[in-house]
Amino acid sequence: MAIATNFWIWIAALLTLAIYSFLYKDNPFYKFAEYLLVGISIGYGVSVYWHNTIITKVYNPLVYDKNFLVLIPLLLGLLMFSRFFKNVSYLSRIPIAFVVGAGTGLSVPSSFEFLFKQVYATMPLKLDFGSLIIVVGVISTLVYFFFSLEHKGFVGRVSRVGITFIMVAFGAAFGYTIMARVSLFIGRIQFLLSDWLGIIK
Amino acid sequence: MLKGKGIPIFITFLVGMIMIISFFIPHKPFGDIEKISLNWYSIIAGFTMLLGVDSLIGMHFRKLKRKDENWFFSLVLILGFTATVVVGIIETVRFGTAFDDKSYFTYIYNYFIVPLQSTMFSLLAFFIASAAYRAFRARNFDATLLLITAIIVMLGRVPLGEQISPYLPKFTEWIMQVPQMAAKRGIGLGISLGALGVSIRIILGIERSYLS
Amino acid sequence: MLKRTLLLIVFLILSISLFSENDGLIFLENQTPFEEFAITGKDIPNDGGGGIEIEWSFPDSLDNFFLTVLRKDEAGNNSIVATDLLVSSKQVRDVSSEEDPSRVKDGTKYYYTGILSKKMVDENFLNMLISKENGYSKNGIYIFNNDTFYVTAETDAIISKASWFNLSRIPVVISLILISFVFLYYLNLAKSGKELYIRKINGLDAVEEAVGRSTEMGKPIMYILGIGYVTDIPTIAGLTILSRVSKKVAEYETKILVPSYDPVVMTTAQEVVKEAFTEAGRPDLYNKNDIMYITQDQFGYAAGVDGMMMREKPGAVFLQGLFFAESLILAETGHSIGAIQISGTTETAQLPFFVAACDYTLIGEEMMAASVYLQKEPMMLGSIAAEDLLKVFIMVLIIVGFILSIFAYGFNIGIFKNLFDLLVRALQV
Repeated sequence: MAIATNFWIWIAALLTLAIYSFLYKDNPFYKFAEYLLVGISIGYGVSVYWHNTIITKVYNPLVYDKNFLVLIPLLLGLLMFSRFFKNVSYLSRIPIAFVVGAGTGLSVPSSFEFLFKQVYATMPLKLDFGSLIIVVGVISTLVYFFFSLEHKGFVGRVSRVGITFIMVAFGAAFGYTIMARVSLFIGRIQFLLSDWLGIIK
Repeated sequence: MLKGKGIPIFITFLVGMIMIISFFIPHKPFGDIEKISLNWYSIIAGFTMLLGVDSLIGMHFRKLKRKDENWFFSLVLILGFTATVVVGIIETVRFGTAFDDKSYFTYIYNYFIVPLQSTMFSLLAFFIASAAYRAFRARNFDATLLLITAIIVMLGRVPLGEQISPYLPKFTEWIMQVPQMAAKRGIGLGISLGALGVSIRIILGIERSYLS
Repeated sequence: MLKRTLLLIVFLILSISLFSENDGLIFLENQTPFEEFAITGKDIPNDGGGGIEIEWSFPDSLDNFFLTVLRKDEAGNNSIVATDLLVSSKQVRDVSSEEDPSRVKDGTKYYYTGILSKKMVDENFLNMLISKENGYSKNGIYIFNNDTFYVTAETDAIISKASWFNLSRIPVVISLILISFVFLYYLNLAKSGKELYIRKINGLDAVEEAVGRSTEMGKPIMYILGIGYVTDIPTIAGLTILSRVSKKVAEYETKILVPSYDPVVMTTAQEVVKEAFTEAGRPDLYNKNDIMYITQDQFGYAAGVDGMMMREKPGAVFLQGLFFAESLILAETGHSIGAIQISGTTETAQLPFFVAACDYTLIGEEMMAASVYLQKEPMMLGSIAAEDLLKVFIMVLIIVGFILSIFAYGFNIGIFKNLFDLLVRALQV
């Protein structure tokens, strides 16, 4: 294999190197890649929003399906533009109030569902050492999250056990991720050495 | 009246209550309300995108005009944005959709955005190493515990671990299934209670800092 | 000789194909592979309509056979519900979907038939069965191209309907009502002036110090809300903490930068900061352009925020909200510029990285309670006390469950088994 002659591969390779130069220190090459990524991705985002939102979710339902319910979010969306005019900018609170209401409202039942699922999963369906550890771990972790009691004496000791469980869990998640992250780097090096420089196959 | 906080707080309350009630009513239109509201969010966000573009491009235009230190890069950003949008429009006219396989718009995505994204992502290999090194140097009990568990789990998941001791992968599995799971559930229970608290404070209008 | 042989071969091939096309079908009416060979169907309970569940229970020896389900509606139109399901899967759902929203109409009568076969069902055979002329009214054994297909009788008419109440969620309704009472009780208690305590949360006492030190060094504060939307609770919690932090920022007369990922989050953050500056009596210091949009691309956002950190060199960095893989990219860069970092998220997969790279980390619920800690208003403290009472309730539930299971399975006592089962079933939603 030989070095790539494809113009697009060269672009991708040089941009890859420019990002890696950040590991040394902030420099013009990184700055170039960073500003370019932000600029292009927002341009791409605008196109995606245009296609997925304005056309697919507003224009098509309104014109073809005669779904006039779409007028409500359309109006709410347009109210956001009131921010361009100082004397009516307070109108933008209405869509904000709407989305915050929807988010918090949806979270109440879904938090409940999650709560039930977690308690259900903690029920020892078979009796062994592991299920005892799980019960101890869940309860002591919950004690750590107690806010209206001072963490002293007995409560303090239990919450200390909780922290120990939390740190083991964090360590496990950390260790679990390391190899996955290293493989991302190997993937990029492979691109540089094989697709671009053609040194390895 | 509209200028005060009253109406927005009432809207939050009303919308929040409808969302809660609809969880228990599968019948139309309540059954689809989650899907509908997420759909509506994306429509509102689609319009608000214009405010975002105004904010970002406006900032870089000002930098360009003032000939700030990094004005050249601001120019790169603005040109990148404009070029992508223009190419998007041209290719939409040419292919009917900008997302066609042969369109230059797709090329921009594949050869600019994808390598930049995945290289940024792969920086994590270095950052995770430096974070681990720092945990190694912090000489307190919690950090040491975190690090030791991390090392055991990391080794337990690679072939080398099996060679060190055949028990290592099994022990790793046990860590993931028992103590890790226990703490994750405890944290999860706390999070759902916390989310309930945040939601109730906002729906009842006790927390209103998001409205000015 | 050669010509004749060739011709013979051609004839043979032709005759085979003729045979397989026309004479391939043998039908034995009313024959079944085993007794009670049938499928059943019912309306899916507790749904919004547009769904029917088809079930079957065949002998275990047939687990590796295939079942294809066909449907006839009251107008006589046939359609395929699913082909080649493994018999061991026991059930399949016929539902309306995004692509076909009127597939199952509420109130219409539907009749279902199953086809059992050892090999995957033959397409020609299937087309023959669902063609309008033939229909599949007859149940029995069909032998087609030497493959055997067992066809069940039609089910009775099945009608889908929408429910007005999801009965399976009754435990949730009950606990929602109970929990509402707990919250109302504590909110009332708070109103009546009873003082409520909140424990120390590491990291939140450092907010003042972080803002103060940044101001002394003449550096701005950076507040990163992550990549969530305003409908995500961690983002909302992040916004409430932003409100308290920006109040401090206004008091110290310094600057706060909020690079945003979602335009609605940006707009809301602008409102939050403006309100906080007004409350602190310094609306003149508020600058809308300090709360700016970056991009909705995850790593584009990470690159942009990293660059901003390197150039603006904030003295304190807050990472509060919903974070995914970009968490460590941001936190390590923040560490490298020597900023005091206070992070918090609900993503358990990202918390280890924050713990390793930041000075202080708010774990899960601590982050949700942070805005209360920073403001300490009685009503808000009341809601935290209510959360704690619920924790006690959950712990009791888990301990009771554990004790029941010891008696049920450790000592094998029947009544405890029933009680344990009852508890477990109530938790299944």
